[in-house]
Amino acid sequence: MSIQIKEVSKTFGSFQALKNINLDIQTGELVALLGPSGSGKTSLLRIIAGLEEADNGVILFGNEEMTHIRTTERKVGFVFQHYALFKHMTVFDNVAYGLKVRSKRERPSKKDIKRKVTELLSLVKLESFADRYPSQLSGGQRQRVALARALAVEPKVLLLDEPFGALDAKVRKELRRWLRRLHDEFHITSIFVTHDQEEALDVADRIVVMNEGRIEQIGSPEEVYEQPNSPFVYDFLGNVNVFHGRLENGKWRNGDQSDAEQQALAYVRPHDLVIEREKPTEDAVQARVMHVHAVGRTVHIELKEEGAERFLEAELPKEQYRELDLQTGETVFIRPNQLKVFIPADYSI
Amino acid sequence: MAGHISLQYGSKQVDKKTAREPLLVRILLITVALAFLFLFLLLPLAAIFIKAFEQGIGLYIASITDPDAVSAIKLTLLVVVLTVPLNALFGITAAWAITKFEFKGKSLLVTLIDLPFAISPVIAGLVFVLLFSTHGLFGDFLFQHDIKILFAVPGIVLATLFVTFPFVARELIPLMQAQGSAEEEASLTLGANGWKTFWLVTLPNIKWGLLYGVILCNARAVGEFGAVSVVSGHIRGLTNTMPLHIEILYNEYQFSAAFAVASLMSILAIVTLILKNIVEWKSGQHG
Amino acid sequence: MRVKRWKKHSILPGFGLSLGFTTLYVSLLVLLPLAMIFVNTASMSWAGFWAAVTEPRVLASYRLSFGASFAAACINVVFGVLIAWVLVRYSFPGKRIIDGLVDLPFALPTAVAGIALTTLYTETGWVGQFLPFKVAFTPIGIIIALTFIGLPFVVRMVQPVLQNFDQETEEASAILGAGRLQTFWKVIVPEIIPAALTGFALAFARALGEYGSVVFIAGNMPMKTEITPLMIMTKLEQYDYEGATAIAAVMLIISFVLLLFINGVQWWTNRKYTHS
Repeated sequence: MSIQIKEVSKTFGSFQALKNINLDIQTGELVALLGPSGSGKTSLLRIIAGLEEADNGVILFGNEEMTHIRTTERKVGFVFQHYALFKHMTVFDNVAYGLKVRSKRERPSKKDIKRKVTELLSLVKLESFADRYPSQLSGGQRQRVALARALAVEPKVLLLDEPFGALDAKVRKELRRWLRRLHDEFHITSIFVTHDQEEALDVADRIVVMNEGRIEQIGSPEEVYEQPNSPFVYDFLGNVNVFHGRLENGKWRNGDQSDAEQQALAYVRPHDLVIEREKPTEDAVQARVMHVHAVGRTVHIELKEEGAERFLEAELPKEQYRELDLQTGETVFIRPNQLKVFIPADYSI
Repeated sequence: MAGHISLQYGSKQVDKKTAREPLLVRILLITVALAFLFLFLLLPLAAIFIKAFEQGIGLYIASITDPDAVSAIKLTLLVVVLTVPLNALFGITAAWAITKFEFKGKSLLVTLIDLPFAISPVIAGLVFVLLFSTHGLFGDFLFQHDIKILFAVPGIVLATLFVTFPFVARELIPLMQAQGSAEEEASLTLGANGWKTFWLVTLPNIKWGLLYGVILCNARAVGEFGAVSVVSGHIRGLTNTMPLHIEILYNEYQFSAAFAVASLMSILAIVTLILKNIVEWKSGQHG
Repeated sequence: MRVKRWKKHSILPGFGLSLGFTTLYVSLLVLLPLAMIFVNTASMSWAGFWAAVTEPRVLASYRLSFGASFAAACINVVFGVLIAWVLVRYSFPGKRIIDGLVDLPFALPTAVAGIALTTLYTETGWVGQFLPFKVAFTPIGIIIALTFIGLPFVVRMVQPVLQNFDQETEEASAILGAGRLQTFWKVIVPEIIPAALTGFALAFARALGEYGSVVFIAGNMPMKTEITPLMIMTKLEQYDYEGATAIAAVMLIISFVLLLFINGVQWWTNRKYTHS
């Protein structure tokens, strides 16, 4: 089922959590709402679920307007960051809950409920845990129960609020692969909220980057990573070096600019920095190697720009690093292979 | 078990859309709850003051300045002055032993400390009768040495000690348990001795809990009726505490006088509640 | 040095002093006096003991004490949960004051509560005059006094549970299609049952032993409105120490059973929900 969000705004007291949000989600898509805390991503998710009411704006599921439909009747699946499992119920009863609370007319028979729950528990690989209580499970297992519980009611839309936020790094990676596979199998329209850019890039079909209650950029993982349309997105998705300079005839030149009007910042990813011994151009940046971190295939090099108190970060493949034979304390020249220029004045509010 | 619930801290306000009932249901529930509280708490409290002044302010003042009333007030104060500090001292030492050390028989000791809460005040009085009456365990000894405990002030003090003794300990044990011993250990490694550590580190940390326990202990010591009634002998002007004096006045149909003395105790109860809330609020801020 | 063996090492000082004082104080003030009940009971003949605790007047007092305490504790569970709910979930003017006032029965001397309630519920009292039945000097009056003194227990047990209750589980329930009433019964009630049960037991135990607030409103008519603590008092006034002690022994045993029950409830909740 497709989801349309039109002109949605929301204020909590004097804090404006969402400012005029417009977003279309296609049937079967897996979308990540990515942003720092306070960016409004969770509020948006809760409004879609009906847990919160928008001040204005419209929510459509397919062609049906949902804005004033109660949570109970929206038939969405929702997975909470802290699982929100029913502590006093076994795993089985947790998963069966959504089916058991239906009105007599719609409620499946006991046998059908049992079959359905068993099926879901085997899907999340917890068949043998049916009689346990949530307190007897690990974090990853609890989140899988929460997911099975959400899927039991056969939702048309699956909403996940920082689903892996409370788990440790390893389990997290495992579960997000698993979520991806699950989605590829069932094609439920899914929206998940995360502040972890790696998670969003890894799992989502499309990423919605949010900041201060606004959508900054919508696009595929490649798009938002390769072609960020704002300094915020550039900064939020991965490490970045910022060079201060100015624009001359449409070309960026390095060098501090005293006139703020003309200032232009160049954003360069660490792996787009080229390190050279010979001065390549007139305005090449001179920097001193401060520290080399050479564990793994990629070598991280920390540099300090000469004449400025700014630190830069470069990434080289190990082979290239060996060829260069960089020494700590050495002075080198760096050149951006690829850069994106933003004029600060355009982004100041 | 009587009159005891641990400290609780500030409440968070819940205001989420799904976790709310329809307005009508909310109003209905609030109304029923308030009506119940009005009937059971507010009305009796109001009745005490209204009845106290029913026959005029003159009689009110006469009632509370009557020599028997004054001596009852004095005796009650004496009992409080003797019992509360003793039980506070006990509470601190017991909490120190129980929370700072691991030893066998600890849970038994904790249960014993709780015991007076579970026992009827009448039984609390009875046990002292069994110890000190002429037929009691120490009866002969006391008679030979002409010491009066029962139907005298010492008996009243002992019975009050018994019923009020868990209050401070019960308050401090969970508090000190939660705080752990890390700060005391740090203080010792920095060269402070045991007493210094207690004064400079432990006491400031538990002061609100201690005060809370003392307030509750005080309220109970002032108002204890059943236990004191058994051991006092009801001798006017000598062994009557305020609650016993109220009983006598009431049974003699001197209702206004009874309520006049009762109103004094009610004011104390209200002050206790206010102090208790201030302490809860303070400890919520600091703890 | 013997101390060292049953005590784990700690660098903190004062173990001997604090434990010594505590043990001495508890022994002298609690253990020795309470032991007297059992020592004196043991010196009675079985027949004498049995006769004392099964005297018709005493039997009637058990029935009354248990019945009235049970009724009062039940009333307190229903209204206690309601009051805790209202205080935690809703906001209304004067809420803070009301919240503080809930502890009044703990702060107000029982004798004061007793005369106040009696005055309200006599046939000419402010409340009594509007009621079609007699309250003061009947078992109903006793139930009212016992409800008063037990009121804070359930409220104060249930309140923190509701406060710490994870609202997300309620939201999860709503998203899964449960109505508000279903969520209340299936999700909220099971969470507050242990607290409510503990509050019930505390209120019940307190009511069984209560004396001061009851004697005024009860009227103390033999076979009709005499509670068990009053029977002990009456026996003492007649210098029947043996009879008083025997009844006290019965009450003490009941108190211990209740204490065990309360600990059992807590143990059961801990085991079920928190341990693996």
